[in-house]
Amino acid sequence: MPTPDRSRRRLLAGLGAASVLAAGSGCESRAPAARSEVRSWDHTVDVLIAGSGAAGTSAAITARAAGAEVLVIERLAKTGGSSAMSGGVCYLGGGTPLQKALGFEDSLEAMRDFMLAAGSLHPPRDKIELYCERSLEHFDWLVAQGVQYVQKFSESKELPFDGASLYYSGCELASPWRDIARPAPRGHVPTANGHTGGRALMEALLPAAERGGVRFMHNVSAERLVSESDGRIVGLVAREGEREIAIRARRGVVLACGGFIQNREMLRRHAPELYECSTPWANAGDMGIGIRMGMGVGASAIRMNQGFAILPLYPPERTIRAIVVNRAAQRFLPEDSYYAYAGHETAYNQHGKAWLVADADSSYDAGDFRMPLLAEAASIAELEAAGGFPEGALQQTVAYYNAQAERGVDPLWNKHPRWVAPLVKPPFRLYDLSVRTAFCPAHTFGGLETTVHGEVLDTAGIPIPGLYAAGRTSAGLPTAPYIASGVSIGDCTFFGRQAGAHAAAQEASA
Amino acid sequence: MRPSHLAAFAIVTAATLSTATVPLRAEPPATDAATLQSAARVSGDPVRGRIVFGACRTCHYPDKGAGHQNGPSLWNIFGRQAGTQEGFAYYSEALKNSGLVWTPGYLDAWLANPQGFIQGTSMMSLGVPDPQQRADLIAYLMQFRDSP
Repeated sequence: MPTPDRSRRRLLAGLGAASVLAAGSGCESRAPAARSEVRSWDHTVDVLIAGSGAAGTSAAITARAAGAEVLVIERLAKTGGSSAMSGGVCYLGGGTPLQKALGFEDSLEAMRDFMLAAGSLHPPRDKIELYCERSLEHFDWLVAQGVQYVQKFSESKELPFDGASLYYSGCELASPWRDIARPAPRGHVPTANGHTGGRALMEALLPAAERGGVRFMHNVSAERLVSESDGRIVGLVAREGEREIAIRARRGVVLACGGFIQNREMLRRHAPELYECSTPWANAGDMGIGIRMGMGVGASAIRMNQGFAILPLYPPERTIRAIVVNRAAQRFLPEDSYYAYAGHETAYNQHGKAWLVADADSSYDAGDFRMPLLAEAASIAELEAAGGFPEGALQQTVAYYNAQAERGVDPLWNKHPRWVAPLVKPPFRLYDLSVRTAFCPAHTFGGLETTVHGEVLDTAGIPIPGLYAAGRTSAGLPTAPYIASGVSIGDCTFFGRQAGAHAAAQEASA
Repeated sequence: MRPSHLAAFAIVTAATLSTATVPLRAEPPATDAATLQSAARVSGDPVRGRIVFGACRTCHYPDKGAGHQNGPSLWNIFGRQAGTQEGFAYYSEALKNSGLVWTPGYLDAWLANPQGFIQGTSMMSLGVPDPQQRADLIAYLMQFRDSP
């Protein structure tokens, strides 16, 4: 162990190191290198995967299991990607062993109907249907890789903090979705303490990949794809420290480099609503590099403005009894909907601005870091004036809400009766939910258009030979509004597997 | 530096850092000098810092009792020796062996370029390139301790 003095010197010397992370910013597409420009290959493998999160690692495990020689390059010093920093929830249903063991009935049809109805208009039906059909098999696959689930259900509306592995992770119980599809808890959380399910997930998947014989290289950043004259992708040029290396992929390149929430310029251009959100939610790798490399070879990028924007109205659950209003002092959602739905509606449909109106029994604890307290008043009329709402508007909204709530109903938005109670106890409080100032984590969902096998499509809808994408580099299951925690990781792991399997099955290029 | 010296929330200046027992490399690039000097000029606003710190909550909670998550708790962080909190098993060797005691100045330098400041860190963050935002974040974090 070095003495503090020596190691501190090394530490300070490190101040001079150029930030590897500064590279990769910008939002231009990345033009490919022609095969003829590559004088020699530094490495040759069957399947080359850029990115070591849940998508890349699942692709790697599957390609390797199919007999391919697999290399994963990771831009950062540490593997795991944003997946390792996430809640690690996987959205699974149709009667998984965990659902059954805990006494919940579910069907693949109910899961499919919910997923088709709750997200974006014109969702990726082919992917949703395949994902639901294979949900039980995918659960088994995760368990076979060493992902552990504890047989415990949580009533929590938020990622459980009590070590439970099953919960209602999305909008299933809220209106109108509870009437569209029979609700079931489908959020499967790897056994972990606190909010570290993503770490637990990757602590299973990464060693599974290594045990299988997948090679990993750290601090190697994908820069440009290498294309043959016929358009086939045969490798990529990457940066390793100061030098460029060329890596050949005989069967396919899988881009699994995450989304672009950390790339401000790209965000401003492609996802302005997410640009406004206060809190980019990802690790440092989500710079859109994979998407830009794909665009550079003519790939189609779709749903680029979509993503999640979360306004964590809960916990505590008592705040769900408050009401959320827009600048016209009107409610615009059931407050018991998934917190990413509240964020979505605010970010995309209310110009990023909303307020929570609470009484003494439905307020946050003093000093809650998430939602700034704007005003406190003895009456709704005073709160209305303090908040600058049109005179009478908030009073009318609260009077109507209270009149219905007296009878335990919410005819306007059908908030579940469990959380319906008149707002009558002073002091009344007004909290700022605007996406710029409230705690509003955001992440991107737009990306390269892919088939159910992960093949990247060009703008004519034709697969680009040799090129695959998975996870948030692709436009997959998660759309806006985000319907439930676990859809993104579910997409990463399942369609990562699909891409790895398809790439490994390709004939090796000469 | 003892924790008691931190009470006044004095961000360490470039002079303080360079006159410490450890020499900087012979010719620090201009960006580093700018980084270190910026810390001396900028005073932080904890209200703005709340928003800057939001992204850090992916992994770190500064709130008392919230404990370690993907990253270690940041409760009472200033004056602590880096990489030594009980119950957190995920420090990089580089941080554990750094001998560093967290001060606002070191945190400022770290956040200016996390990967450069301690090579081999396991904190996968872009850092906070803007000096004012760093100062705001530090001012915010200063509130999370036993006797502010």
